Order: sequence, then C-alpha cells, then structure tokens
Amino acid sequence: MISRRLQIFTVLLVLAILAMGGYFVHLKRKAEAIATPQVQQALVAPVNGPAETTLLFLPNDEDGTLHATSVTAPQPADPGERARLALHMLIARGLAKDSPHPYAPGADVHDVFLMDPNSAVVNLNQALVAGLHPGIQSEQLTLFSMVLTLKSQLPQLMRVRFLVEGKSAETLAGHVDISGWMDVIEVQQSTPIAH
Amino acid sequence: MRNLLHAARWLLLLPLLLAAGLAHGAHSVSVISPQTNYQVEILSHDGVEYVGLTDLMEPLGRVESHVEGNRVRFLFNGTESMFEQGNTQCRVRSTSVNLPAGFLLQDGRGYVPLASVSVLLPRMAELTAEMHPATRRLFVGVASIHYTAELRTSPSRLVLSFTAPVNPSTYMEKSRVRLLFRREPVVGAASSKVTYSDPFVRGVTFNESAAGAELNVQVAQPATVTVGDGGRSLTISPSQPAAAPGAQAQNAPASTPLAATSSPGQPTAQGTPTAARAPRGKAFVMLDAAHGGADAGAATTPAEKVLTLALARRVQKELEAKGISVVLARTSDVALSFDQRAAATNTARVSLYVAIHLSPEGHGARVYAPMLPPAPAEQDHRAFLPWELAQTPYLERSGQAATSVAGDLNTAGVKAQSSAVALRPLNSVTAPAIAVEFAPLEGGEAELATPAYQQKMATALAGAIAALRGRWGEAQ
Repeated sequence: MISRRLQIFTVLLVLAILAMGGYFVHLKRKAEAIATPQVQQALVAPVNGPAETTLLFLPNDEDGTLHATSVTAPQPADPGERARLALHMLIARGLAKDSPHPYAPGADVHDVFLMDPNSAVVNLNQALVAGLHPGIQSEQLTLFSMVLTLKSQLPQLMRVRFLVEGKSAETLAGHVDISGWMDVIEVQQSTPIAH
Repeated sequence: MRNLLHAARWLLLLPLLLAAGLAHGAHSVSVISPQTNYQVEILSHDGVEYVGLTDLMEPLGRVESHVEGNRVRFLFNGTESMFEQGNTQCRVRSTSVNLPAGFLLQDGRGYVPLASVSVLLPRMAELTAEMHPATRRLFVGVASIHYTAELRTSPSRLVLSFTAPVNPSTYMEKSRVRLLFRREPVVGAASSKVTYSDPFVRGVTFNESAAGAELNVQVAQPATVTVGDGGRSLTISPSQPAAAPGAQAQNAPASTPLAATSSPGQPTAQGTPTAARAPRGKAFVMLDAAHGGADAGAATTPAEKVLTLALARRVQKELEAKGISVVLARTSDVALSFDQRAAATNTARVSLYVAIHLSPEGHGARVYAPMLPPAPAEQDHRAFLPWELAQTPYLERSGQAATSVAGDLNTAGVKAQSSAVALRPLNSVTAPAIAVEFAPLEGGEAELATPAYQQKMATALAGAIAALRGRWGEAQ
C-alpha cells in the first residue's frame, strides 16, 4: 500500500517535470528565433571608403531592357571588392518589393575574382540561380546587367565568366549558356538599354 | 507415293491456312509503339468491336487486373482504373471517362470498345494514341512517321522528307509513282492531296488502305526514285530532262518496280543526276521545340516543353500549307541534349534552324541570334572549327534572319525585338540559326496555352519564315 503522502509527492514531481519541459521548449523556440534572422537582402560589408557614383544596370522583365541608374555610396579601394559591392547593390534592388526583375531571398554574389584587368569571374550563389524565372530574356537580362555593371566599375574589363557555387555550369537556369567566357563588347552591342 | 500424298495434302491445306491468316489479320489491330509492334485481337460483341485491356496494355508496361464481381480494377504502371460490366463510364485515377459502348467482362477478362482506345490510352498510360481505322493501325507514343513534300525546280523534282528512315515498295505505274509503306507507320501530312502546276510533278496524294500507307506521285514522264539521307528522303526526278508541256515523253510500262539507289549525288539507275545539287538539304527549316523529357523548361501551366511542341506543330502545319518543308527536332516528350539537336539539324542540312521557347515574363516575342565572336577575316571557309563554334560562318545570316523575323512578327501584330544571346545549341548549328521566345500578348501566363494565342503566334512565325525564304531566294 502506497502512502497518501508519497502519492501527492509523485503527482507534484510529474507536474514539475511537465512544467520544466514546457519552459524548455519555450526557451528553445525563442533562441531559434534570435539565431535565424529573415535574410531578405544581400548582406553588404561595411565600407569606409570615399563616396563615389556607381552605375547600375537594372533589368526590367516587362520591356526586356536594362535601365541605367546612378547610385552614390562609399567605395572600397580594392577593385575586386568594388565590383562585388556593385553587384551586391544591383541584386539588392532585385530583392525589393515590386522589383521588375525579382530575385529570391538570399540571392547573392559570393565573390568577384579579377584574373587580370580584362577578365573577371563572378561566383553566384545557388539561391540567386534557383530563384530566377527560367526563360531566355530573364536569364539574359540577369547576366547582361551584371556584365555591364561590372564594366562600369572596371573600364578595362573585356570578358566575364560566371560560376555557380564555385562550379562551372552549362546554363544559368536552363537557357542561357554560361559555360564559357562572355564577351563584354558583344554584350554591350546586344543589350537594349532604356534611358 | 506416300510422299506425293503428303505434298498434295499440304498443297490443299496451304490456301486454307493463308485464308485463315488473312481473316485473322482482318480481325486484329496493329499497335505500333516506340518499344514494340504487336497485334491485338478484336472481339465483336453486339455489333461493337472490343479489344482486351490486358492484351492491349501488357506490352507497354506493368499490368495488374483484379476482377471483383462485375467490376475490374486495372492497374497500369501503378495508375488505377475501374471498369464495370455494361457501364459506359469508367474511372481513370479520379477522372470519369465516357466509353462509346459498355465495358465487357467475358471469361474473367476485361474488354473495352476499340473506338475508346485513343481516349483511354493517354489517360491510363500518359501516351499519345492515334487510331487509323482504315488500316486498323494504332500508333502509340512517338512511332508515327511524318513526311513533307517539297517541289524543286531546275530540274523539276519532288523531294519527300521523312522523320525516320523508310523503305517503301516502289512501283512505276502509268503516270504515277506508287510508294507503298507496308510496315512503316507513315501518317499523312496536313493536306492529303497536293497538286502542282509543274511540267513533271502533277501532284501527290496520300491514303491508307489495309495494305498500309500509300503515297502516289502523279508524274508526266518516266521517273526515278533516289533514296538519300539514310532512308529519310526520297527524290522523284525525271529519268530524262523534263520535256516541255504538250511534248511529254512516253510513260514507263505499268507496274514496273524501280531500282532505288542510295546516297544522293550518285547517278541513278538511268544515269540522271539527282537532287543532291540543291543548294541545301531536304527541308527548308528545322523547328526545335525547346526542352522535353525531364527538362520541363519554364514553370508554365502546362510546362513550357508541352507548349513549345504544340506551337512547333502549328507552325509546321502553317508552313506546309505554304509549300515549305519542315523537320521537327522532336515530335514527342523526349529529352534531347543540345548536341543532339545541333547534330540532327546539321545532318538534315536545312537552310534555317528555329528554336521555339515560351516564357510568362514580358509581352510579345523576342528573337535571338547566336552570340559568338565573329569569324576572323582571314579564316579559310573550309577550315575545321570547334564544335562549339560551328555556327561562326553563319553568324551574319543568323543576325539577318533574327532581324527579318522580328520585323515580320511586328508587322503581323506581335510586338517583337531582336538581340543576340549565348544560347545552345545555336552555336553548333551549321546553318543560319535563331531562337524565338514567345510571351503573352496582353494577358498573363494562362494566355500561352490558349488555342487562339498559339494559332496567332504560329501564323505570325510561319509568315515570317516564309518571308525570309522569299528574301533569301531573291538574294540568290
């Protein structure tokens, strides 16, 4: 026969365990909410350089053109970093609500490598590629806008190559060929630019 | 003596066996699919022709049939269908399908009306099915072979291009060349009868009979038939230079089988030069419905791969109605690599390659020429080029084609612009090559799948291609 006192003690113990479990779950959810902020925009490293004007070529899926826009922002001294920052700003415009050429949350450029003054390799992240609307025009505008924005930062640039997560890819999102170098002059000649 | 009796018995039996065989053939349907060709027996019941469900489906995939009272639960590759004895409705997955006559359950076997097969197969097996009642031939999947007929001049000759190699029985009869396709699943072009005002070729008719598909070419004088392109093309040319109208040469003796020679360019049996001297190959244009198979393309509804194929077929019909021969890179939902598409185009030796894409983004149409570095001025035109740069000698004409097509699309009321893009397989095509991406005209994505939209785009693109052909012809 179990004494009444022992029964009350056992019930209280079980209640205490349940309460502690509930509190633990609450704390865990709170901690997770703090640890995973909603990344909606490409993160840009803080820059302490002088403010300069950058030309961004913003794609517009509606009319199939690129719109040249000037942006004034502090610029780093390193040409590779300047190029990367310019592409960050370009993508950030696509992350904005009601963008005429939307990018998916998390879309970003990992790196811009300058092989020599004439050649740049752009390493795109998977979120950018996966979130693109597949189609020739959409992919063409994405690539051409990056090439022309880079060209505005690096006047000597002659050719650009694109990688996805550090690897060579056959197409950007099923259409436009990114397996080789893209000639900047050909891009300039082929791009419909709205002024 | 015993041997003689044995032989006589067989001689008597032989006609009976032949008759039985013919009767058997008349009461069966020939199923032609990419995997296999087979016969399914027809069962007549109350004046309706039926085929056994298991007999029909088993060669095409995994089949399970469960009889539950007067109902049959049928599984094909995991897709469930339910049939009920005498019921003119059945259920495939969760969709109800009407049958022209009641389902028949006999000796534990399920039978469906023959007339319902072309409706049931696409639902049960997700395969296209086309029944040809005259020949009792059922084409399942991509098996059917299409042809185009193109009349060429100087000298007059008719070039028949097929989507797969053919080997017909060829006969020269009075004023006609008869091509009989006993085993090949040749199906008719957009128009089964075409007439020409030409001194040599008067017309082409296509018909199907119990013997098979038949193409009859009406000619004004004796002809030779030359086989080319690995059996994919037949050139019918005069065995002598074409005589002036009114001074026709005598026809060849009736029912004279012709000797077909291979490889165009070689003299025929009669020593006449063949169609190989045509400036380019068999068909004028290769229409490439982009994507296919696992590559669905843009996320439209239905998928871009379905819409591009439907549009390519409409453009083909429009062009054939204008007398322009067309080859389709794909005629079903198959995956083709970029290299396969380029290789097929280069082998077909067409004068123009057009890749067809659709996109829900933007409005109108975009016409693209290949983006490649221009050929060096000093480059020998006979020099070998890397596969990925094979387009280089044709860049200028591709650019002209893109501008011309965009201009004509605008004229036809489809807002279009042209530019250049690095797009495979354009860079490996050894002919002028363009890609056209169609977008909604005014509405949204749903507009892409509407017949009115598809027909408008097909008419506009076919008109632009025909105009381009005319311009190139004038330039030459």
